[in-house]
Amino acid sequence: MAALHNHSSLRQSSHPLLFVLQKSSTREDEPRFGRLSFQNRVPMDTPHYVAVSSRGVVPHLSQDMMRENTNIRAMYTALEDSSSTHSAIPIVTSLGFGMLEYTNYVEAIQKLRPDVVLGMGDVLFGHKPGVKRIDKMGDRTLVWVKELADGMKDEENGTPRPALFAPILPIEAEQQSYYLDALQGELVDSVDGLVLYDTASIDAIPKTLRHLPRLSLGEMNSPHKLLDAIALGIDIFTISFITETTDAGIALGFSFPAIKDTDLDTPLPLGVDMWSPTHATSLSPLRSDCLCYTCTNHHQAFLQHLLNAKEMLGWVLLQLHNHHIVDNFFAGVRQCIQNGSFEDERTSFEKTYTAELPEKTGQGPRVRGYQYKSEKSEQRKNPPAYRSLDDRKEKLAEAALPSPSADANDLEQQGFAEKAE
Amino acid sequence: MSTSSQSAALKFEIVAKCSTTKARASILTLPHGPVSLPIFQPVATQASLKGLTPTQLAETGCNLCLNNTYHLGLKPGQETLEKVGGAHALQGWKGNILTDSGGFQMVSLLKLAKVTEEGVRFLSPHDGTPMLLTPEHSISLQNTIGSDIIMQLDDVIATTSPDAERMEEAMERSIRWLDRCIAAHKRPEKQNLFCIIQGGLDLEMRKVCCKEMAKRDTPGIAIGGLSGGEDKMSYCQVVSACTDLLPPNKPRYVMGVGYPEDLIVSIALGADMFDCVWPTRTARFGNAVTSTGTLNLRHASFANDTGPIDADCACTCCRPEEEGGLGITRAYIYHVASKETAGAHLLTMHNVHYLLSLMGKVRAAITEDRYPEFLRAYFRRAYGDMARVPTWALTALKEVGVDLLA
Ligand SMILES: [Zn+2]
Ligand SMILES: [Zn+2]
Repeated sequence: MAALHNHSSLRQSSHPLLFVLQKSSTREDEPRFGRLSFQNRVPMDTPHYVAVSSRGVVPHLSQDMMRENTNIRAMYTALEDSSSTHSAIPIVTSLGFGMLEYTNYVEAIQKLRPDVVLGMGDVLFGHKPGVKRIDKMGDRTLVWVKELADGMKDEENGTPRPALFAPILPIEAEQQSYYLDALQGELVDSVDGLVLYDTASIDAIPKTLRHLPRLSLGEMNSPHKLLDAIALGIDIFTISFITETTDAGIALGFSFPAIKDTDLDTPLPLGVDMWSPTHATSLSPLRSDCLCYTCTNHHQAFLQHLLNAKEMLGWVLLQLHNHHIVDNFFAGVRQCIQNGSFEDERTSFEKTYTAELPEKTGQGPRVRGYQYKSEKSEQRKNPPAYRSLDDRKEKLAEAALPSPSADANDLEQQGFAEKAE
Repeated sequence: MSTSSQSAALKFEIVAKCSTTKARASILTLPHGPVSLPIFQPVATQASLKGLTPTQLAETGCNLCLNNTYHLGLKPGQETLEKVGGAHALQGWKGNILTDSGGFQMVSLLKLAKVTEEGVRFLSPHDGTPMLLTPEHSISLQNTIGSDIIMQLDDVIATTSPDAERMEEAMERSIRWLDRCIAAHKRPEKQNLFCIIQGGLDLEMRKVCCKEMAKRDTPGIAIGGLSGGEDKMSYCQVVSACTDLLPPNKPRYVMGVGYPEDLIVSIALGADMFDCVWPTRTARFGNAVTSTGTLNLRHASFANDTGPIDADCACTCCRPEEEGGLGITRAYIYHVASKETAGAHLLTMHNVHYLLSLMGKVRAAITEDRYPEFLRAYFRRAYGDMARVPTWALTALKEVGVDLLA
């Protein structure tokens, strides 16, 4: 279960969204350029991505940074975990792991008021369902989508309900035909978009639902995978590799269309590992043609230092840069779809860049989000601060030790100290 | 008596003096711009402040922050700093930087560190080779860092140490090391070397140190060795004794102080500059510094509190969206504090802004010669009943002419 937040301003009237495909599809699977509009919000052109958030924040980015230094238009907040039982699904909330009853979920939607609610499919992640399970998948999903659609109707007047995206299950169309019939029948006015767990499920979309926006929750671990899915007609993506590369200390470095270089013997990397000490004294931006906050204000040497010193700012700056790269990638994709060069550019992109993102070599940031273990029994208000301050103790708690691998020559060469007689 | 001083890289002008207490408002002009004193300096130990960008730090109103020489010497090291062009260029910070020498970090953290007359002896972590870190090293490193204010290497002993002999040795050694630092300092036209007064809680020793160090005529003076867990009554006595002896026309920096009430009392005792890791460190644990005390926003009672972190605060977080801020609520911080680093970034921004804005209010009160009234209003708000104000604060303020109980 998930919700999309589009942050701009408030909605007023009762139609949650409008999706216009600007190039009417003649074939079933081809890249689509569209515009997704919500009442009183800046429209989002597609193909595009929604930033994956945790507790309503894109990891590492405070709201002011996101507002002023990214083009992030929408955020995806997952309220679900991998396994599902009949009427309750485990979710991750700010309170830690908990079970969320279905009725509570509807209540939560009404309270959180997202722009889009992704209806949950009865889907097992990571393994193929057995025959018995497949039989039940369509039925269960239908029950849940119906309940969700009903629950969302109970809204006060004047505010439109959130848009509902219904899942297309990652099984054959015949295996979910009863459910698909319902989507085209009784649920046709309640469903505003489709969620796909697997790009291949595009084939299962009934003809009469092809005009709906398609959001993919499928694993997209490289820009090549994105291009493949775009080529088949996916409109919106959730991309986990942005934060993953950031956490790995990698600065993304690809563009679409790809740079034309006729002398290209070996494919270009999709990103650069900023942990590499080769960047330690480089005063160049992460990428010479990048206009993101990080590349405009800082250089590789600072990034290298921040990662090395495990300073949080390192991941902040990488996150800004990496989102900027992906923003520009999608802008390029949309332009190429419009001018008809998408297929050619896609081929050229495949040739220009390596298939995989660089290997992670350095350490990630310290624990974040759900990894964090909460301490018990906090006091509401701290005792008045007239106890004596031990700043020295506080500073030592913050301090770093010399690297255990630092030998006398290292320390002397970097000017920290000299060898004593 | 002179109320201003000028050296090659610094100008200090007192603009107002409180007619009751020893508080002063002044302007300290450094190579990277003027700083209004009294001021609190946030600590960006390793050239970054808890995930904030230099832009965000500047938005809190900060124009002078701390880096630590010990840490920058380890990472990225002098060689890299040299190539990059110093700490300002490394972190993209256009404001002023003060570097603390990190003397006590060396002694506490380096393997088998021992202070000798030459410097700090220790063993290299990997191969155990004996190494030496001298006052000359510290200054050379700070010259490469290029900070606007550099600190001498001092011999710091815990104020709570009962060993008077060792304390005296440390105080006298700090004077000798100051001479070595002055001799080693290669860029006095660009960087200001501050001495650090030592002498523990012994007022006689402090007196000797003040006299000797003042003779060296450094552009500014720090009162060191405090904020190591000593009782506050003794702390106030030391600060007050030092400010009585120090030349009035030099900036006075008390190291390691950051609780709001410690700041405003120290200012009444004649101190101008402070630094402390507490406000930024505590943000990570969900603590917000506010005008009514420090609130732990991780407490469940804030889960549905839709008010701002502090209603009087004008920081980016607390300012409503209509005024270009983020309109962050206590409930939101409750939701993300210490779970997402972005939550800590927000609280860090607020806490630093809060202390800098408190300093702004202090300066206005001194300039308008109503600092005693300011102190009264502050303590009344924080404690309700003046009888609940801690004795150390009552005593210290009474000695400078402000009787909170009157
Ligand atoms: Zn960039
Ligand atoms: Zn605030």
